[in-house]
Amino acid sequence: MTMPANDNLHVIGVRHHSPACARLVADAVDRLRPARVLIEGPADFNDRLGELALAHTLPIAIYSYMGTEGGARRSWSPLCDYSPEWVALTKGRESGAEVRFIDLPAWHDAFAEIENRYSDAERRYADATERLCREFAVDNTDALWDHLVEIADPGGLAERLERYFDLVRGEAETTEPGSAVADSARERHMAQWIRAALAETDGPVLVVCGGFHAPALRRLAADGPSAPPEVPRPPDGADTGSFLVPYSFKRLDAFAGYQSGMPSPEYYQRLWDDGAEAAAGALVELIATRLRAKDQVVSTADLIGARSLTEGLARLRGHSRPGRTDLLDGLAAALVSDDLEQPLPWTRRGTLTAGTHPVVVEMTAALTGSRTGTLHPDTPAPPLVADVEAALDRLGLDGTRQPSLDLTDGRDLERSRTLHCLRLLGIPGFAREDGPSAGSDVTASERWDLRDRDDRLPAVIEAGVYGATIGDAAQTVLEHRIDRAGNDLDALSGVLFGAALCGRAHLTDRLGEAIADGVADCGDLAAVGSALTVALALWRHDHLFGTAGSDLYATVITACGHRAMWLAEGLHAGPGPAELGRLKALAAVRDAVRHAPALTPAAASVAATATRIAADGAAPPDLRGGAAGLAWSLGASLDAAGAAAGVSTPDRLGDWLAGLFWVAREEVLAETAEHGVVHAVDEIVGDMTDDEFLVALPALRQAFAFFPPRERSLIAEQLIALRGTGESARSLLAKQHVDPVLVAAAHALEARVDEVLTREHLTAATKEQR
Amino acid sequence: MSRTEPKLQRPPAEQRYADELAKLAADDTAPRPPGWALSLQAARTFIVGDEKLGLARKFVGDPSLIDRALVTLATNRGLMLVGDPGTAKSLLSELIAAAVSGDSTLTIQGGASTTEDQIAYSWNYSLLVAEGPTPRALVPAPLYQGMAEGRVVRFEEITRCPLEVQDSLLSPLSDRVLAVPELEGGDGMVFAREGFNIIATANTRDRGVNEMSAALKRRFNFETVFPIGDFATELDLVEAEAAAALERSGVPVPPSRDVLEVLVRVFRDLRSGDGSGDRMQSVMSTAEAVSVAHAVGIKAWYLRGGEAAAGDIVDCMAGAAAKDSAEDLARLRRYLEQRASKRKSGHWQDLYQARNLLPG
Repeated sequence: MTMPANDNLHVIGVRHHSPACARLVADAVDRLRPARVLIEGPADFNDRLGELALAHTLPIAIYSYMGTEGGARRSWSPLCDYSPEWVALTKGRESGAEVRFIDLPAWHDAFAEIENRYSDAERRYADATERLCREFAVDNTDALWDHLVEIADPGGLAERLERYFDLVRGEAETTEPGSAVADSARERHMAQWIRAALAETDGPVLVVCGGFHAPALRRLAADGPSAPPEVPRPPDGADTGSFLVPYSFKRLDAFAGYQSGMPSPEYYQRLWDDGAEAAAGALVELIATRLRAKDQVVSTADLIGARSLTEGLARLRGHSRPGRTDLLDGLAAALVSDDLEQPLPWTRRGTLTAGTHPVVVEMTAALTGSRTGTLHPDTPAPPLVADVEAALDRLGLDGTRQPSLDLTDGRDLERSRTLHCLRLLGIPGFAREDGPSAGSDVTASERWDLRDRDDRLPAVIEAGVYGATIGDAAQTVLEHRIDRAGNDLDALSGVLFGAALCGRAHLTDRLGEAIADGVADCGDLAAVGSALTVALALWRHDHLFGTAGSDLYATVITACGHRAMWLAEGLHAGPGPAELGRLKALAAVRDAVRHAPALTPAAASVAATATRIAADGAAPPDLRGGAAGLAWSLGASLDAAGAAAGVSTPDRLGDWLAGLFWVAREEVLAETAEHGVVHAVDEIVGDMTDDEFLVALPALRQAFAFFPPRERSLIAEQLIALRGTGESARSLLAKQHVDPVLVAAAHALEARVDEVLTREHLTAATKEQR
Repeated sequence: MSRTEPKLQRPPAEQRYADELAKLAADDTAPRPPGWALSLQAARTFIVGDEKLGLARKFVGDPSLIDRALVTLATNRGLMLVGDPGTAKSLLSELIAAAVSGDSTLTIQGGASTTEDQIAYSWNYSLLVAEGPTPRALVPAPLYQGMAEGRVVRFEEITRCPLEVQDSLLSPLSDRVLAVPELEGGDGMVFAREGFNIIATANTRDRGVNEMSAALKRRFNFETVFPIGDFATELDLVEAEAAAALERSGVPVPPSRDVLEVLVRVFRDLRSGDGSGDRMQSVMSTAEAVSVAHAVGIKAWYLRGGEAAAGDIVDCMAGAAAKDSAEDLARLRRYLEQRASKRKSGHWQDLYQARNLLPG
């Protein structure tokens, strides 16, 4: 049996960020003078409601996080001037009521998939709302909501809302009983707060919650224990916290799918401030100004047309004042004289799609608005905020500037590391223009582009989840990345380089082990090669990154060196285009053996393996060429003619050369022997028929493209010396300005002449025979 | 004895829905724009339907599109419906004309050979020779009639007309007057009566609206009609339309919903390119899907005497898909090989097995 409804209980079910609901809440507070105001919001923030009472400029959000071993869960409860929750907070406090949040904390599992606490819950119950949309002949629930609530007659609004939410919830429970499970934990918790409040006071209790929860809360509040609930404690080992962050209308509008709430915050802000007519008028002006600023023609006639359309639409739809879609529909019909590639965004839900008409994009952007909130200076912030500010100040990196850093200078190196950490944390406004990369280039300077942006502070506060200082936070992010990378060597080598740039090389026994495991498991020669390249670059440049003496990179180099040779020897494949990844891996092995002999297998043993690969008929030609080059560059002698013999077919030769040239470019150029590579290749190409040559040509071109022009002319000289024709190398390389089609035609003609001559026994050979 | 009227293949909308229109007009209390047969609200209800009043939904699409279209017609701009072929633009224009004027037959069919004679007026030449240019000798065309009687004129496929012919609409649209220079006195000017407006349709495939003169463009409000966004809605529509078409063709079995589901899914995947960016060049509209479903049903009934199977789709689709290009045929083949093969249900496997029926 349920108890009779308590007269002191007043539940207002709202849609979050709805001006009409906010007004309803304000009226209720004035009318009821409640003793308690209970609001759907994180109950673990109740001790800190004072922070919300400071003089902030909205929008702001309560940002909550939970850091765990495996990652971080983050969620926001955004508040703006016209949020019913915000009005309940401020008006409730003014009227002397005791105000509290009654929902579960954001880290609770009930919020597992929810990033925006104030998203539309009924969005998850689409069937019910879809039926209503059909009934009222509107496009979607946003249009339905405006029609029924925002621009409808305020008289009887409370009852209308109650019926709306009862209907949606009721239908959802009969058609989708399973989907309410996550909501029910929250509702049980909220109901317990309500019962406790009703038991503690004789005065009215006003509850402001998502309308979707309202029917359930009314029911649950009637029955059950009346002790205040325990606010759940976060699980052991989890690091949780909540801070206020400045928010922006852009972010408020950017939630998509199940996370989204009311669209077009700028429109509703104006609706809240000035009413529907004024909002529509101001936005038409704003949109016209925006479009004209972009050189779009918006004539007075267009604006008159838009206005009469908007009014006509409002009247047709039974609105006494123009609503959001009346305004947008009128403007779109009057201003767009093209066919659209994408439907008008307000007829669908969700974010803009590519191909949306530019005029429509401007219109929706104007309705989104660009307001950003600011926090009162006394608002507590996570320690990271102070650390970042102090560091930027101390290192002279605040504001907007473009510093050039010399990494050999101690102070500049510290600056660089700080900046890299901030970049790693995803703080906007820190972009590196130029500097050392994971390749083998040696550069000791960096250029940065630093910009002081509005969205920096929120990002720093939100990064506070990762640690109290810049270095700790960066380390946490790196560790998360290691976990996420698993055995993906590419990602791991990225983390490796990132760790060096951030000055966190010591992190990382874990990283070393992870990479060693990754290398051992990795079957991809190219990935091992890129890890080796990165590790070798770091190891060689340890004076820059301060990684001297770190065993980490040495371990990686050793593991990668062994693994690369192992994989290379096992790699069997038919002829195919040269793959740069595996050639780079062989080149990395070459560099490792040259520059870090103590960490790799002995040069002779690597060369022996390479020679075996070079002679292996089952290996792909580019790998064989690369292996031949590797052996050669490590001091083994190269029998060019013998090595090339196995790959002399037209579909292999070019790829083989590509491999050879990539790994042993210097050796080829320095070659003076009479029977060298150039000679061998010349012989083979000379023996090819025209057709074969055409087959071989693309790969040959690619192979020779590895040489810069000056070195190509060196090879040309070698060739001329071999042939003894006396031409100059330059003329051989000069670009022929002849139409290739003409050349082909000439070749074809010659071939036909030869054919005819042969057929008629008129060639030189046949004459002699005669 | 009453003679039975011969059955029309497709009566105009105002005849098909005469009862609904009469009922709406009788109950219509909202103010009507001057010259309109119904109020805006009633016209809208006629098109989007109302279950409580027993009115069927006649056009599947965003209700806001209907709102904008109707309000546009009540202003002094024309309405231009653009979109891919087969998105029911003509149906929509017919329904709107029937609701607004009670008559959807003042229709100009645009084409390369359309002349001003077919748009405005021409002459009865025997009378012209006998009497000279008199109102009796004048043969009014839809535009003349629409202006003189205050009704909505439909101009189908306007962009397929030569540009100078299109521009003959300029003064009827902006000054609301049509000059007949041959006639003297008051007959030489036809001033549009209230209720006159123009609904033009243009498809984006043949010749888009880009070539249309700017002067004419700004006398129209543009509305783009999109393919149906929602799978279930499109399936319902195809099912209803295909069943009706089959009934008219004397096939007593309605198409199986499972088979239609496969068909509609294939059309939607090929229409959107399914994220792979490989969309068909030919038109994969809902109307095409209905005609393929129709063909499938006919083939199964008259050639085999049974129900359609998913395999039949392939045969009939080849005609729909490949009428333009061999590339589309290749796209269809690849779709069947790679997508259809991965879907496990029986009908999808039928479809996959039937891939060999594709020509070439």
